[in-house]
Order: sequence, then C-alpha cells, then structure tokens
Amino acid sequence: MSKIEIQSMIAPFTVTEVRDLCEASYVVRFSKRDLNFRPGQHLVVGVLGMSDAREYSVYSGRDEEYLEILVREVENGVVSKKLRRLNPGNNLEVNGPYGFFLTNAQPPANKKLLFIASGTGIAPFHSFVKTYPDADYTILHGIRTIDEAYEREVYGEGRYITCTSRDEKGHFHGRLTEYLKNLDIDKEAMVYLCGNSDMVFESIDILQEKGLSNSHIFTEVYF
Amino acid sequence: MKRISFKTLGCRLNQYETDTMVSEFHEAGYEIVDFKDEADVCVINTCTVTNQSDQKSRNMISQLTSRNPDAVVVVAGCMVNNHKEILEKNDRITYVVDNEHKNNVFMLVDSHFRGEILHPDQLPSDIFGYQTVDKSLHTRTSIKVQDGCDNFCTFCIIPSVRGRAISRNPVEVYENIRRVTENGFREIVITGVNIGRYDYEGLKFENLLENILELPGDFRVRISSIEPDGFGPGFAKLFAHPRLAPHLHLCLQSGSDPILLKMRRMYNVRSFMNIVNEFRRLYPLFNFTTDLIVGFPGETDADFAQTMQIAKEAAFSHIHTFRYSVRKGTRAERMENQIPEREKAARSSLIREISESNKVDYYNSMIGKEQTVLVEKILKNGTVQGYGEHYLPVEFRDPTAQQNTFLKVRLDSLNGKGLLGMKL
Repeated sequence: MSKIEIQSMIAPFTVTEVRDLCEASYVVRFSKRDLNFRPGQHLVVGVLGMSDAREYSVYSGRDEEYLEILVREVENGVVSKKLRRLNPGNNLEVNGPYGFFLTNAQPPANKKLLFIASGTGIAPFHSFVKTYPDADYTILHGIRTIDEAYEREVYGEGRYITCTSRDEKGHFHGRLTEYLKNLDIDKEAMVYLCGNSDMVFESIDILQEKGLSNSHIFTEVYF
Repeated sequence: MKRISFKTLGCRLNQYETDTMVSEFHEAGYEIVDFKDEADVCVINTCTVTNQSDQKSRNMISQLTSRNPDAVVVVAGCMVNNHKEILEKNDRITYVVDNEHKNNVFMLVDSHFRGEILHPDQLPSDIFGYQTVDKSLHTRTSIKVQDGCDNFCTFCIIPSVRGRAISRNPVEVYENIRRVTENGFREIVITGVNIGRYDYEGLKFENLLENILELPGDFRVRISSIEPDGFGPGFAKLFAHPRLAPHLHLCLQSGSDPILLKMRRMYNVRSFMNIVNEFRRLYPLFNFTTDLIVGFPGETDADFAQTMQIAKEAAFSHIHTFRYSVRKGTRAERMENQIPEREKAARSSLIREISESNKVDYYNSMIGKEQTVLVEKILKNGTVQGYGEHYLPVEFRDPTAQQNTFLKVRLDSLNGKGLLGMKL
C-alpha cells in the first residue's frame, strides 16, 4: 500500500539573521533542518503562530547549511513587515518546497542559460548560481536603482547585467525590456523569466519576435 | 440491515472515492439507499473548489442532518481539509474525515455500530487505499493513479486540500485495473488531481499509460481531466492505440496570455493550441473539451475577447465554465481589480453560447461516422443509451442489446442532448 509521504513540513524554523540589502529589501536567514530543495523552488513562509504566510523563492544555494529568502517590504503588506521585525531565535512556519521553475536548467542539462529578473525576482537565479557556479549563464536584472543589485559579487564576471530605470549606475540605463530588444540571443538558449507579470509578458513577446521557441521560455511570476 | 446513503459533490476523483466506499459498505451487507431516503448512515463527500461548492456542501449537510436527525453523519473530502475546525464544531456531524483518512470511512462507521468510537485522524492514512469498485454501480470506473498538485495556480485551493503531488505505485495501478476488469468493467478512466505530472521513480504519465494499454482484458481507456503542461513527446502518438478513447478534457482556463501568467499556469495560448493542432493533425475527429474561468482578477474585455476567440478556434465540444470566486489563502485572493459578479455572469453566458454552438458543429461533423458505444442503459421502449469512444452520448434502438457491452453504431442525426444512431 502506498502511504502518504509528507514532504512539506509545518514546523518551526529558527531565524538566525535578518540582513538589510537596501531600504526596501532584506534577506531572512533561518535554519534548514532537513528541508531539501532544488534552486528555483519556493517556500511558503510566515511567522510561527500567525495565520498569514507568503510564497518566497529560496535565495540561498542548495548546499548551504541554512535557508534564505529575499523579501521586498510591501507597503501595507502584512507578512513582509512582520518578517523584517524578526530577531535571531524567532521561529517561522515554513511549508514546501514547491514548484518546478529552473528544474530543467540544472545539470546535466548543460545548456546556455539566459536568466531575466525584475526586482526580487533575482532570488531563484541567485540560488541557482550559488549552487551551480560553473553553469553557462547570463543574468539580466531590471531594477530601479543600483542598490537593488543585491549581493552581485556572487555572479561571474560579465555574467550579470543590470538595467536601472531610475539612475544611470547600471550597465544600461532604462527598462530591462528596452535592453532585451537590442540583445543578440542564441536561439538555442534556455530563457527563464522571474518577476512581475508585466515584465514577464512583455519579455516573452520580445523573445518570440526574436525567434525563440516557446519551448525554450520558462516563467515564474511574482505578485 | 443498516441503511446508508451517499452524496458526492465535485470532481471525478471524489466520485471514484465515493464509489469505492459504496462498494465496501454493500459488500459488508449495508443497504444502499437514495440520498433523499431515510438512512441510518449518511456520507457526504464534499468539494471546496469554488465558493459555490462550499455553499452546496453546506446545504447538503444541512438538508441531510435535518432529514436524518438520528443518523450517523459522515462529512468527508476537500471541504473538511479547508474548513475542518468549523465542521468539527457542528454537533450534528458525527465524523469529520479529511482526504488523507477518507479511505477509513467504512471502518469508522462499522466500528461505531459495534460500540467502538474511533477518531478519524488516528486511523492509518492511505490516499490510494481504496477498495475495488463494484461493477453494479456504473459501466465505467475510475482508476486513481495520482493525488495532490504542486502547480499552485494562483486561483486554486486544491494544493491546500489535496496536498502535495503523489503518484501511485504502477504495480498497484495495474493490479487495480486487473481487478476491475475481472469485475466486468469495460471502460476505465485514468484519474487524479494532476495526472500529467505522474512520476513514479522516473516512470512518467505516458509510460504508465503505454503500459496500461498493453494489459490483458477487453476494456477501453479514457483519460479524465488533464493539464496541458505535463505531456511528453510521445503522448499524442499513444492515441493511435485502438483502446485509448480519442477525447481529452484539456484545461485551458483562459485564452489570454497575460491572464494565464497571472493564474500561474505553466503554458501559454500558443503552446496550448500547438497541442490541439497536433492532435487534430493526427486524429482529425479528436474531441477536446475544457474548463474556462471567467472574471479572473484583472481580466479585461480584450482578455475575454481572446478567450472567446480561442474557445471557437479550438472548437471545444463542451466548455465547463467557472465564474472566478475568491478562495481564501490563494494568491489571487490578494490581487487587485476583482471583476463584478454581474460582469462574470455576462461573460459566463457568452462562453456557454459558444460551447453550445461548438457542440452542435462537432456533433454534426460526426454524422455518418461509426462509434463503438458502451451500452449503459436500456430503456423499456428498447432505446439503448451509451457513450461512443469520442465521448459522445448516443441513442439507438436494439431489442437484443445488453448492458455493459460494446456495439458498433453509425451516427445518423442529432437529438436533444446527443446523437441518434443505427446499430451496425
């Protein structure tokens, strides 16, 4: 007889650090326990004992001894404000991991990878690069100002391109989609998009106009 | 003899799980009575997929407990997983059983009458631990191969109530099919919450299906509702097998790419239509039906116009239309631009019109064609009713027809709900 295998865990995970990255965004690091995930998957995270929880892609690498999520504090948000006020020793309720994003990008796929992110949509790609630093990837990151280029030292030289819409400190000043329109893309590349739905939708159109096959484009939309 | 009644709400999977319970109680000597009749035990297998489903489930519980004040009342299924605490506070319900423990309903009730009160949550949990369905219930039976879903579409509560995706051991699946076909079933329906994601130690859905098609016995295979994102490259080719019914209920949900993104569906309109077109290239008469959600948050007139366009282009012979309803705990609950109910109703009505028109067109295209009809019902006047392999309801006359047999029929004309034919 098949028994239910409960992979998700509704149990406390202990916060070890809340690290501010910029005014709006921060990282919550917490105990990993025995939770295994694949880069690209997300967790449902809330403060233990409170009913609200939200979905966050894992930000840390698969083989690190802790879990991290990247959070943007949302105006009038419930969970994102509570998480920022946490201290080491506080407990989280964590459920997951969930999702299939980036599943087919992982070795031994050995493909040329183009990662396209807006804002905190960089999280799954950060996790991927921490796990597979030798992968053949390029990241386009659409952000408002350069201080949202969180912890960019992780990425290999020439592999991380910032498009800043509100300052001129990025590699490109303007919207990510403007940069994408003029980018030469290998039609055999696998393209992964993560971020707000408008960016994702507009980018898909551009990629298809460039002749990329639908079967090479994968999305994870943030809300 | 104890009398027991059942009421099932919602999906085919729920119906299958109820059927197994009915079979188990029947075998143990319980008298199965109609839901409207007086009974010693009443089982309601609930659904929670929409607000309307919750409301229907609540109404059923209320009606049933009023009609049978002294009965043992068992409320099971998805609504329990979503609203367990509220249901447990209802003194008129004897047992509140979630999906993980639903296979124990017989044990709970039978123990109850022997004076032993068990708590459902303390019994072993086995989501595939259901008895074989007795052939007296229907001419076709479902085979559960999978449960749960990891897709987390933004509108959907199902991952919360059915749990994570889990695939049944294929050996158990084949054994289940052997037993039901030995029981006399001639048509099996492969069922689960998200069957396209079947993956048992690397064995994918199409591998499982390929193996099922080669099992011994005289039966045909139908696939229940399937998502358009779990197909392998060889899936379409499997439908060349004479045993596999050429029909898919392929869930589209919206014909607008921006809305599909917001729904967090894992395909777009083009990839969906590629599937439809490839199947129709291989099998021109292939029957597609679908689900559509109208009034999803942010759905503009232009989005909806695209949905109508695709509904016509894909020529679905039936469209199950849902008006979007907020489910607590889903991402869509927090989305802006919720659509007024009046607008949802108007859009729903337009889709129903397209569905009806598509159906007539499709049925007309089948006139003159042959179908292998599985006889389900024989009326006193000699009219035989059943479904052809394309999932078309067919009526014909044959005084010698026997229930649960396959008969070749030529389709001659449309009648009110289906097609009239002539036995060959």
